[in-house]
Amino acid sequence: MPSNPSPSNSCRFEGCTLTGALSVTTSVCDSISVVHGPSGCAHHNFSLLHTTGIDNDRITFPRLVSSGMQDAEIVFGGEEALERAIRSAVSDNASVIYVLSTCIAETIGDDVKAVCSRDWGVPVIPIPTAGFLGGSFQKGVNNALLAVAGSAPISSQGVRLPGLVNIIGEKNLEFEVEENYREVVRLLSLLGLRVNLRFVHRIRADEIARLGSASFNILRDEDLGVIGEELSRRFGTPAVTSFPAGFSGTLKFLETAAGIYGADPAEAIAKERQVQEFLIRDFADIAGLAISADHLVDGSSCNLAVREITGLLDMEVVRDGARVPIPPVPPVGTTGIKRMLHRWRRAVHA
Amino acid sequence: MPECINPLYPCAMTGAVSSLAGFNGIVVVIHGSSGCYYYPATLLHAPLTGTFILEEDVIFGSEERLIEVVEEIARTGKRIAVVTTCVPAILGEDIRAMLAAHDVILVDSPGFTGSYEKGYKKALSILDPQVSPDSAGINIDGVSLFDPFFRGNVQELFRLLALAGVPVATVLCADKYEKIRKCAPLTITTDSDLASGTGTCLGGTLGFDALNETFRRIGEAFGTSDPDPVFEEITREEERLVRACDKYLRRFDPPQVAIFSNFSYASFAAVTLKKYLDAEIVCIGSRTEPTGPLPFPTSWITDLADAQALIRRSDPDIVIGSSFERSVKGSAGFVGLTPPLRGRVYISPRPLAGTSGTLLFVEDVLNACMDKPHTLS
Repeated sequence: MPSNPSPSNSCRFEGCTLTGALSVTTSVCDSISVVHGPSGCAHHNFSLLHTTGIDNDRITFPRLVSSGMQDAEIVFGGEEALERAIRSAVSDNASVIYVLSTCIAETIGDDVKAVCSRDWGVPVIPIPTAGFLGGSFQKGVNNALLAVAGSAPISSQGVRLPGLVNIIGEKNLEFEVEENYREVVRLLSLLGLRVNLRFVHRIRADEIARLGSASFNILRDEDLGVIGEELSRRFGTPAVTSFPAGFSGTLKFLETAAGIYGADPAEAIAKERQVQEFLIRDFADIAGLAISADHLVDGSSCNLAVREITGLLDMEVVRDGARVPIPPVPPVGTTGIKRMLHRWRRAVHA
Repeated sequence: MPECINPLYPCAMTGAVSSLAGFNGIVVVIHGSSGCYYYPATLLHAPLTGTFILEEDVIFGSEERLIEVVEEIARTGKRIAVVTTCVPAILGEDIRAMLAAHDVILVDSPGFTGSYEKGYKKALSILDPQVSPDSAGINIDGVSLFDPFFRGNVQELFRLLALAGVPVATVLCADKYEKIRKCAPLTITTDSDLASGTGTCLGGTLGFDALNETFRRIGEAFGTSDPDPVFEEITREEERLVRACDKYLRRFDPPQVAIFSNFSYASFAAVTLKKYLDAEIVCIGSRTEPTGPLPFPTSWITDLADAQALIRRSDPDIVIGSSFERSVKGSAGFVGLTPPLRGRVYISPRPLAGTSGTLLFVEDVLNACMDKPHTLS
């Protein structure tokens, strides 16, 4: 993908709300997502979700039903087409049906909420996702997480299970989504903690009921702050605001998680610090390298994590340095830094 | 199209963009939301631009944003093509009038108007390829950035035409933009579903029979050409192919094959496997509307549920299609023919057209068959 898709410098490139929401709803495995719009919108996302799954060694079938809007629905309205699509989803034995609108459905003014509110025999939950009308990719993720969280029973408040943690808002389209999750699980295990629920990553609809049972939540990143606040409001669950980034960020993550849980982090931090020291020694061969800083954004968490590692390896960040790959989001934990350094070594040797 | 489950093929907007983006010298502007931009951008791996319209553009009009983008590109001196998506197409704005001050190719191809092929052909017709009697050589058409075989097909046909002493005129659609005004009077095609109608078509290039016939016509049409080296190559390679298939049939039953692709590729696959492997073609699920009769059970399918049902019903040994079909193939072997193809690494240009294309295709099928122990007699 070109790095500069528009000649203009603008904030319009934050992705499609529909895609963001589908990255969440299709991860409720026994659900069906109805996309109210032309079949092309559903195809684009089906193809993206399916191929992303394959890239992550998963053969997945995001269950999408398109209302298949054509010229006639554009002219006369698409609510009947939406009804047919929901009926098709109901007949396919979904535990829950999420209905997502598209730019064109929103523009012609179809009343999606009204259609969803009828008695369909299964929960039919509308999620506002009208592409540019709804906002960004992240807005779609957040809208979907809020809608899915809304189906979790409040009664789960107060039955919090000790030592269990929710992972909130994983980036399901991320190439390293599983590796990042495993790194967080590894770090939590140092504190004797386990995962209660991956909200929402390949779960069944009935598992959502466990949302309020964790000791605390770990948000994937700070863009999910509104989700953390909502879960705190609904269930009283505190949150760690992001996955760990960088060496010191990883140690801080352990400290914060232990603090919320009421555990002593000293042993876990000592173990992890030792792993990090070994890692720096393993990459001594690329220490002192001058690297290019083209993709570093001042003040970003990725910048901080990368700057930290370049400091530890006595690297110089200069315009004309070796072009090493800088990840678009911070590598997660110590293991993420290790993989980044392997790629840097490859770049130096290539 | 009525409601459908997991639609298998892209929309007309993507088709139009794949056609336009194949021309070096055209900057394609997708006039729509970011979602409409990112899909073709990731699929076609071509430099695209977009207007990335927002709610305010829908409410107050998209003219200002469109002009902003177009004027910025216009400073580069490159030709601009604007493709409209669903929402701008129904806003009631006169986009042609908006762009009147600019020399812009406008393609109104919103997704709700139909399929990928429809958009591809519409964009190409608006580009209006011109035949010049002075242009030497032969055009290659049916080429689309969407096709995983397009690079290989173009390379292979350049090679075969060079072997016959015939230069290539214009490649539709993967060439310099200026060459669209200098098409030759004669054309060969890699994919008849995307035939441009430019010049006189001498025939297809999928399969040895089609190649023989097309190069015979090339020999007749071009006094200076010498297609004999191509005929010799076809004879030589066909013998190798027959030996490999015959060896396979000494130990294994012919495979039962289910094929999913656009009509022309599916037809090629079916005819080739019937001819050389005595394969039983248990079903063809065509992504595009069938344009002629085939001696195999053929249906036009649009969603994954249809593909899944066909595979379950026909219980094939081998499924030929896209990653979608690969995921529902059960224990059957798989050969990739249709986008998207994921889960395997494809770096080198692989043809389907030409002699190499047929060899590679049958080679893939034989290897997939031999990876399946239950095909043993």
